[in-house]
Amino acid sequence: MMGFLAPWFLAGLAAVGLPVYIHLLKRQTTTPRPVSSLMFFERGTQSSTRHRRLRYLVLFALRALLMLLLALVFANPFLRRSSAAANDRLLLVAIDNSFSMRAGTRLADAKRDALEVLAKRKPSQPAQVMALGGELQVLTQPIKDASALKAAVESIQPGDSHGNFGELGRGMRAMVETVHTPIELHLLSDMQASNMPANFADMVMPGDVSLVLHPLAKSVVPNWTVESMDAPGQLVDTKKARVLAVIAGHQTPAATRTVSLVINGAVAATKKVEVPADGRATVTFESLDVPYGESRCEIKIDPADGFPADDASSFAVKRADPERVLFVHQAGDSRSPIYFGSALAAAAQASFVLQPIIVGQAADVDPTKYAFVVLSDVASIPSLLENNLLRYVQNGGSVLIAAGTSESHRQRIPLFGENVSDAHFYSGAGGFSTVGQTDPSHPAMKDAAGWADAKFYYASVVDPGHSRVVARLADGTPLLLDKQLGQGNLLLFTSGFDNVTNDLPLHPAFVPFVDQSARYLSSMEQLSGARVVDSFVPLRSVTNEASSKTASQGATVEVIGPDGRRPLSLQEEATAQSLKLTHAGFYQIRFANGREALVAVNPDRRESGLELISEDVLRLWSGSAGTDAAATQGAGATEERKSAYSLWWWIMLVILIAAVAESVVASRHLGTQREEV
Amino acid sequence: MQRFLDPTVLAGISGLDLIAKTVVDGFVAGLHRSPDFGFSQEFAEYRAYAPGDDLRHVDWNLFARTERCYLKRYRGETNSQLTILLDASNSMSYRSHAVSKMDYARYTAASLFYLAIHNQRDPAGLIVFDDEVRNYIRPSTRQGQLHRLLAGLEQAEPRARTNFAKPLAHFQEFLRRRGMVVVISDFYESPETIVKTIEPLRFHGSEVVLFHVLDRKEIRPELRGPAILVDLETEQRLEVIPDYVRGEYRRKMDSHLQQMSERTRAAGLDYHLLVTDRPLDTALSEYLFLRPGGR
Repeated sequence: MMGFLAPWFLAGLAAVGLPVYIHLLKRQTTTPRPVSSLMFFERGTQSSTRHRRLRYLVLFALRALLMLLLALVFANPFLRRSSAAANDRLLLVAIDNSFSMRAGTRLADAKRDALEVLAKRKPSQPAQVMALGGELQVLTQPIKDASALKAAVESIQPGDSHGNFGELGRGMRAMVETVHTPIELHLLSDMQASNMPANFADMVMPGDVSLVLHPLAKSVVPNWTVESMDAPGQLVDTKKARVLAVIAGHQTPAATRTVSLVINGAVAATKKVEVPADGRATVTFESLDVPYGESRCEIKIDPADGFPADDASSFAVKRADPERVLFVHQAGDSRSPIYFGSALAAAAQASFVLQPIIVGQAADVDPTKYAFVVLSDVASIPSLLENNLLRYVQNGGSVLIAAGTSESHRQRIPLFGENVSDAHFYSGAGGFSTVGQTDPSHPAMKDAAGWADAKFYYASVVDPGHSRVVARLADGTPLLLDKQLGQGNLLLFTSGFDNVTNDLPLHPAFVPFVDQSARYLSSMEQLSGARVVDSFVPLRSVTNEASSKTASQGATVEVIGPDGRRPLSLQEEATAQSLKLTHAGFYQIRFANGREALVAVNPDRRESGLELISEDVLRLWSGSAGTDAAATQGAGATEERKSAYSLWWWIMLVILIAAVAESVVASRHLGTQREEV
Repeated sequence: MQRFLDPTVLAGISGLDLIAKTVVDGFVAGLHRSPDFGFSQEFAEYRAYAPGDDLRHVDWNLFARTERCYLKRYRGETNSQLTILLDASNSMSYRSHAVSKMDYARYTAASLFYLAIHNQRDPAGLIVFDDEVRNYIRPSTRQGQLHRLLAGLEQAEPRARTNFAKPLAHFQEFLRRRGMVVVISDFYESPETIVKTIEPLRFHGSEVVLFHVLDRKEIRPELRGPAILVDLETEQRLEVIPDYVRGEYRRKMDSHLQQMSERTRAAGLDYHLLVTDRPLDTALSEYLFLRPGGR
């Protein structure tokens, strides 16, 4: 069957009249050839005239054919062929290997069904295998080799990622841009409701893709899981540490569950908890008796449900002696170390011990022995110390600078690099200033509720430059600035800690500020706690290009995955800015700044909710792919579809041949005519 | 210098005076002679003074040294009047390359004029004719004669048909003094008629030279297919086939040229065939050769 997509272009057939006019209506107009005299000429006729006329008509026919074909190619004729006949339809098999596919025999069933789908295809039909986890992973190119396709299906391993059907839709939309043949997509998945994107339009397939769904989970499986937990990443006193875990049930009846705290493979404590029907219960372990060093801990519930893989949630704890903090202050200032040290000691998980030192004695101190360094209202620091501190920060250390009143006498703040342009003495006017705005997204300002009550009598005015302003006073003067230098950070507090320039140290907000700042500056925030699969861990600083280069030249990161292998190549270890945590378990990471950490990675708990996508949504989804019937099973329904096969390429080929023939005939014919002229 | 005699090179030069100068200087240089040769009054001998002799011819220097009166005798001048009869009929406009027959005829005439007036100090005149006399410039050596002649050549555009008989009577009127008469034409007429028409010009004792100007494609025309030919003068049309052109036509043309050569020689006329893709030196050599006391 044939069709014309643009029948209006057939009006171009009128152009056939052009060669008709040129050849049949204008054919008699030939220019005679002048000669000086006909004295020696005689009239003569030639028998070859008939051949010439024949060639003339052949030329006419070729030109008319050219016009005809040109009009035809613009009309874009096509053949309707049934899809069953078209072997160029690409068979795409996508197997869901998200975390929830570990339940029961889902992944094995998916592989078996995929092999069946591949076995049914015709040997000449190309097929492609993909795995759908957190992202769409292409396992083969479109190939016809059955053994290679089977090997690709067999190679799919259960993953720990959170599946996302939106990724599938996005991948298909990208694919139809490059693959111009129709695609028959078979999705083998448990059709977990949580895998749907927030917007249904994201998972809708483009027009050329016919979606065939193979739901593997027939019914909802009751499932308990450790939904969340709260455990310290680093602790000093095991008695003070406690672990909170939330046990959640999905489609479950009320039940008593046994929850265990496992430390380094040994059960340290066990508790029973009543979990209401389809609800949550909290378990608290009051102590966390871990040995010194890194410990691999786990909260586990008894495996008595249909999805045992999510019954444990791991976290890493580092037990260490309190880290020392170097506090450099002036000889006359004894208040600052008292206030700062008290706040540091009062923090919930006091992991730091303050070591105050007078600036004059600090010249030969090695800052690398400290978690971080505080420079409190120091008018001048020895150049040796400044150089040491600069190198210390470049290599990943951090320094908190309290500008204090002494900085007003200086042009430039040491280490921080920015100039002091002015100093505001609010007390001189008989008043004070308060904090105007804070940046709660900064780790040091996580709990900044009490800052509004603090009165500030003095603040240095520092040009922020490229640094981040974390807090400002009411008049806009920057109060707390954060600047990245190499692999480390500099935090500048433009007032002081001495309860003279402000009364912040007397406020309750001072303790969480010092605590959070200390955690931030010692990179404890970055290293502790448990993470989710597919999240990223920053391996080295990314903001400063030059310093990251020096860091990459100086130090490579080292990552050992849960399976004991290195997920990064040597080159990636030297240059990668971040690491994607693709598997659940413990990652041993040594960062570019030399710090080491044990990172626990848990699967996304959304995978534990095994609710299925409702039938009508599935029908809508597969129907939206362009099939008329709700073809959730069997590819047969799609095989009867007709596909349009454009003929323009073939017509262009004929045009080319006709054009060449026309050129040959015309050059011979018109060559004769030129002789006549 | 030889290349300046090539008509295709001359076609790129604007102005007949420049063309003529280029051709003649090139031609003369080719003779290995000084361009100033020939015309200055040459000393012949001394003769003793006799009463009645013109005193202007006495060599007073010799008289001062010897106190004898001698006259200087010079070789007498051998002026030869040159008249060119130029055929300006329509058939002369034919061309198969850059230079038409008319162009070639103009170059030839211009070169001859230049050679005659500038180099030989001969009086030169021009008669342009087709089926009647269209222009006549009296032979003279007056100042500006060369420019008048060249202007006459410039104005001579091909038109109408050739008819030797009709203007002949005028030729007779104009050519009373003996000299050299050059007829430049493509001579599309029977040799008999041509000779009969031109022969009387000799009766005054003039040397008559016929320059037969033809295009190469007129002598050996090429035709790949049947074609309609149109006569430039009569505008008559004729369908011709290549076989005829390759055979019969060539025979007829060769016969015509041979008869022209033979009959003109028999009548005491000088005949030269000039083909428009050949250099111009043939015509110039002929002029210098025929000129009495020439070179």
